[in-house]
Amino acid sequence: MYNSKIRGPLVEGNKTFGQITRDVIAPMEVRLGLWWPIVFGISTAAGIYGFYSIYITVYKGIGTWGVNNTVGWGWAIVNFVWWIGIGHAGTAFSIFLLILRQKWRTSINRAAEAMTVFAVISAALFPALHMGRVWLAFYIFPYPNTRGPLWVNFNSPLFWDFTAITAYLLISASFWYLGMLPDLATVRDKSTSKIRKALYAFFSLGWTGSSRHWIRYESLSFILGGIAAVLVVSVHSIVATDFAVGIEPGWHSTIFPPFFVVGAIFSGFAMVMTLMVLIRKIYHLTDYITDNHLDAIARILIFISLIMGTAYLSEVFIAWYSGNEFEMFTFFRNRITGEYTMQFWGMIVCNAVIPQLFWFRKIRRNWIWLLMVSLSINIGMWLERFNIVITSLNKDYLPSNWASYTPTPIDIGVFVGTLGLFGIGVLLFMRYIPMMAISELKSVAHIGNKQED
Amino acid sequence: MTRTFKIGIFSDEEKFISGIKNLQEQEFQIHDVFTPYPVHEVFHLLKRRSRLPTAAYFFGLFAIIATLAFLYYTSVVDWPIVYGGKPFNSFPSFIVVTIVLTIFTVTIASLALFSARSKLFPGRENTIFDHRATDDKFVIVVETEIMDAASAERAGKLMEEQGAIEIIDKKFEKIAS
Repeated sequence: MYNSKIRGPLVEGNKTFGQITRDVIAPMEVRLGLWWPIVFGISTAAGIYGFYSIYITVYKGIGTWGVNNTVGWGWAIVNFVWWIGIGHAGTAFSIFLLILRQKWRTSINRAAEAMTVFAVISAALFPALHMGRVWLAFYIFPYPNTRGPLWVNFNSPLFWDFTAITAYLLISASFWYLGMLPDLATVRDKSTSKIRKALYAFFSLGWTGSSRHWIRYESLSFILGGIAAVLVVSVHSIVATDFAVGIEPGWHSTIFPPFFVVGAIFSGFAMVMTLMVLIRKIYHLTDYITDNHLDAIARILIFISLIMGTAYLSEVFIAWYSGNEFEMFTFFRNRITGEYTMQFWGMIVCNAVIPQLFWFRKIRRNWIWLLMVSLSINIGMWLERFNIVITSLNKDYLPSNWASYTPTPIDIGVFVGTLGLFGIGVLLFMRYIPMMAISELKSVAHIGNKQED
Repeated sequence: MTRTFKIGIFSDEEKFISGIKNLQEQEFQIHDVFTPYPVHEVFHLLKRRSRLPTAAYFFGLFAIIATLAFLYYTSVVDWPIVYGGKPFNSFPSFIVVTIVLTIFTVTIASLALFSARSKLFPGRENTIFDHRATDDKFVIVVETEIMDAASAERAGKLMEEQGAIEIIDKKFEKIAS
């Protein structure tokens, strides 16, 4: 059923199982190039700047941020939505493609899931800090308390958001870890050093590859995949309702949930592309992450880019068609033209125009182009969130309330810090965990290869 | 008690499958098989079945009822508050939390059940019959304690005929799997 001759092999070069194991484990065992400590150092420096900014935020309060009475949601919410969007890569990639039985996910899903976990951790920082008194963040848990017991508002999208993100983080982390079990056991059995063996034996939970383990493992992955597929759609829909229930012009719109979900998958896939192109280049994994894999991601990106373009157009159209002067003002005087026009047009160019380059086969097969376009999508998606959050708030119904928004170094610091955190996470992942699902690669190694013909 | 095993190592999936079939035809009891990736034919041959989906269904059912009951209790019985003129039991806006918590409960409970049933948890050391099974070899394990020397010999022969690259005899003091 999976032996499509059109797609080409999923693993090139007629690898034996032993070769696959060695190739995937190799990056964990070779001496590191100079680039690793350098990038790690930069990420750590960014992390320290972030830590300092968080310290100042907690010590002095969110008055150190650029937010004001009018623009109550600033960079923190922009970055939160951006990171959550990136965090959809893992689930969208590995779970949607798992339940659709798309076997080409095998060499990419592990890294995508890792990204999800780090991105969601980065995202969760922002709303927690935005509460102001972060040490009281546990108030959002509905627990029997001495304040009544007064319960949280279960009708509020902000509370839904809290449950959705907590659940999403724990579920994607479990799914990631479950997938890793057989491979951690492989590393355990392959390693020669005593400490390493003991460590991987501990974390592989005693996996042996017994048929009893495998059957339960498979059925559990399908259960988790099947039910977590709902989360791919629900998490960002809920983030979208945070905005859509607000009566700000530009937010109060029914298109928001699907628009956000598509945008999330867009930025997630773009981030997967960015990382995959780099990993493949650095570790020479072209036999596993083949041109066909990147080509497939690029095609998905064009498709989503067209949906994004349509969504942007329809938003502007509806603003005009509704005849609502506040909507008209927000879109035509405060986005297309006005104070933040650069961000609006940046978003259009990066998300709807530049990805159209992927219509050309030559560009889909050139790693530098792939990297550039995927980075531009990441930037574009950040600008989109900036647009939505800032331009709706800064000029709403009462002109006497209008205000501008500029981030402070502390705002920027928290964002840079999460970038550093993400970088550190990805680097450690590349060093200590098999980057690709070894056992899954073995099960698809024969597909499309010569001996099959 | 020491237990003795005959272990057949295969490097080819098809030969490994025919090895299992042959042993079963000759009515040998296969203790277990170990593979580097899930091989579905093995599940049919060894009649391995998982009831995890059924369990997951009931976890889900429990989670839905428990969540809705909790929301009803907090919003209607314990401390009713009117939000935006909605009824206390505003069911439609409870759906989101219910879905998310159901997914969450099913995931965590199924994982716990998986861990308990498969005996996989931090620090667990299950018996490794041959460490190459997680790399590139397919391993059939036949317990020879329960049979006489001649049939133990025959089991080894059978696996060799089917293309096993190695037949190993191993003794274990204690089996954990």
